[in-house]
Amino acid sequence: MTDDPALVEAPTVVVDGVSKWFGQKVAVSNVTCSFGAGVTGLLGPNGAGKTTMLRMLTGLIDPSEGTVEVLGVRPRTEPSVYAEMGLVPEENALYPDLSAQQYVRYAAVLGGVTDADAAARRALQVVRLSDVAHRRLAAYSKGMRQRAKVAAALVGDPRILVLDEPLNGTDPVQRAHLIDIFRQMGDDGRTVIVSSHVLEEVERMSDRVLAIVDGKLAAAGTVPAIRRAMADIPYRVRVETDRPRELAAALVSDARVHGVSIDDHVLHVETEDLAGLGRRLPAVARDVEARIVSFRPEDASLVSVFRYLVHRR
Amino acid sequence: MTAAAALATMTARRSLALKRLVGFGLLELAPAFIYLLSAANLRADRALERAVDTTVALYFPLLLPIVALIIGAGALGDERRDGTMSFIVLRPIPRWIIGGAKLAGAGAAAVGLNLLGALALAAAYGVLTGSWDLVGPLAVGSIVATVAYTALFVPLGYLSDRAVLLGLGFVFVFENGVASALQGVASLSPWRLGIVALAGLGGSDVVDALPDVALGDLMPGAWGAVGKVVVLVAASIGAVMLLLRHRDLA
Repeated sequence: MTDDPALVEAPTVVVDGVSKWFGQKVAVSNVTCSFGAGVTGLLGPNGAGKTTMLRMLTGLIDPSEGTVEVLGVRPRTEPSVYAEMGLVPEENALYPDLSAQQYVRYAAVLGGVTDADAAARRALQVVRLSDVAHRRLAAYSKGMRQRAKVAAALVGDPRILVLDEPLNGTDPVQRAHLIDIFRQMGDDGRTVIVSSHVLEEVERMSDRVLAIVDGKLAAAGTVPAIRRAMADIPYRVRVETDRPRELAAALVSDARVHGVSIDDHVLHVETEDLAGLGRRLPAVARDVEARIVSFRPEDASLVSVFRYLVHRR
Repeated sequence: MTAAAALATMTARRSLALKRLVGFGLLELAPAFIYLLSAANLRADRALERAVDTTVALYFPLLLPIVALIIGAGALGDERRDGTMSFIVLRPIPRWIIGGAKLAGAGAAAVGLNLLGALALAAAYGVLTGSWDLVGPLAVGSIVATVAYTALFVPLGYLSDRAVLLGLGFVFVFENGVASALQGVASLSPWRLGIVALAGLGGSDVVDALPDVALGDLMPGAWGAVGKVVVLVAASIGAVMLLLRHRDLA
């Protein structure tokens, strides 16, 4: 058993001390993690380094430092491993002049699939594009194109499926269906790695999450564990008032408040219980006869939450 | 269908999109049309001289490289620009087969178009003189030069976004400028390889009709030219293989 939640038993994909920089910009910094059977969500805000991570996993780019192994080999130097991998890239990666049937069939032929026609038909059926399989991809909506890409990734029946923001552009019905497909593949014992910047999306798809921000691994574990970690984060709240000193003095004695600073007519309050502070504040203000002009969290975005987790890790 | 055949077919198909096919097709007929206009009332020996002049002035150093450049540079360059490179690279296909198939597809498309121009010119000569002796030599010369250019421009298209610009620089500055002035480097000029093959197969009449600047110090001979092209093709496939293995796909 491994104690590190970033690592799994019987991994199919192993990332060991991987960093990647482009000139002066560090995109991924010293990440160690592994992936095994089931769906793993790679969560992080836009620009966090998720796509760079996925591109390294698939061998599209080489790590500047560290190693990536898929089924025990480096995909970059052992392309035979791609028979076991499917990728849904974030970019379009489509041939607009082809029909979906031709596109998925092309993927099957390049993947060395026997009876490419039948395999393409099956894959298109899975993503529910059979009825429009002979229409040119140029005429497809964004959600349909996304499903065509998923079909092309599934056509080789891969053991490892890598999906970069696969739900972008899909409507709620399509989204639910694709999530079902990914979950089913995970339940079948395949390794499914899916990136997203939306926690709720990842929560619906995967049991295990790796959170990444500024190129660093911020948190790893089950979704409830990540949520718990996020709940412990102290928030900074900006309170604008006409009597800042009096209100600050009253708040300092509150057990929910970790610290208060004054900046002109603005208080910056640190608390772990944002909702509780919100409920209590009107009564405190009334006691000191202060008027609350505004009350809002300063940094409750996913980015700031993840940054906190990076520092704590 | 094998993966290599599918890759080559798709490359040729993308290279010959309808607009490009019509545009290049019309352009390829231009030398024959100009030749017909300019050689209509000439004697047979002068007509041959004019046909050779047309190939050396218009077809080999201008039209043929441009067609091969645009098609060759697009074989991998278009995939990279369109974001479809990952679609072909993340497949269990040896990298040299990807390089070879891309070169075969782009080469076939470029050869098809350039052959149209060569055969149209040879046909125009045949119509005016009743002699069809130029068909074979011009066709072989065209194939040799086109394949040589494609072998150069396929890796260049993957390497640089400015492949077409760099290719034009190579053709117009190096080949048509430097190599014309310095005969010692003329053997590095792909269109001259085509002329070498044309002269080798066309016989003494064609060699005599060629201007000095076209052949320079090079010896006429089809086999030598073919041999150089084979080496160039192998080097090109090797270069693509190394690029796919070692260069990040940004």
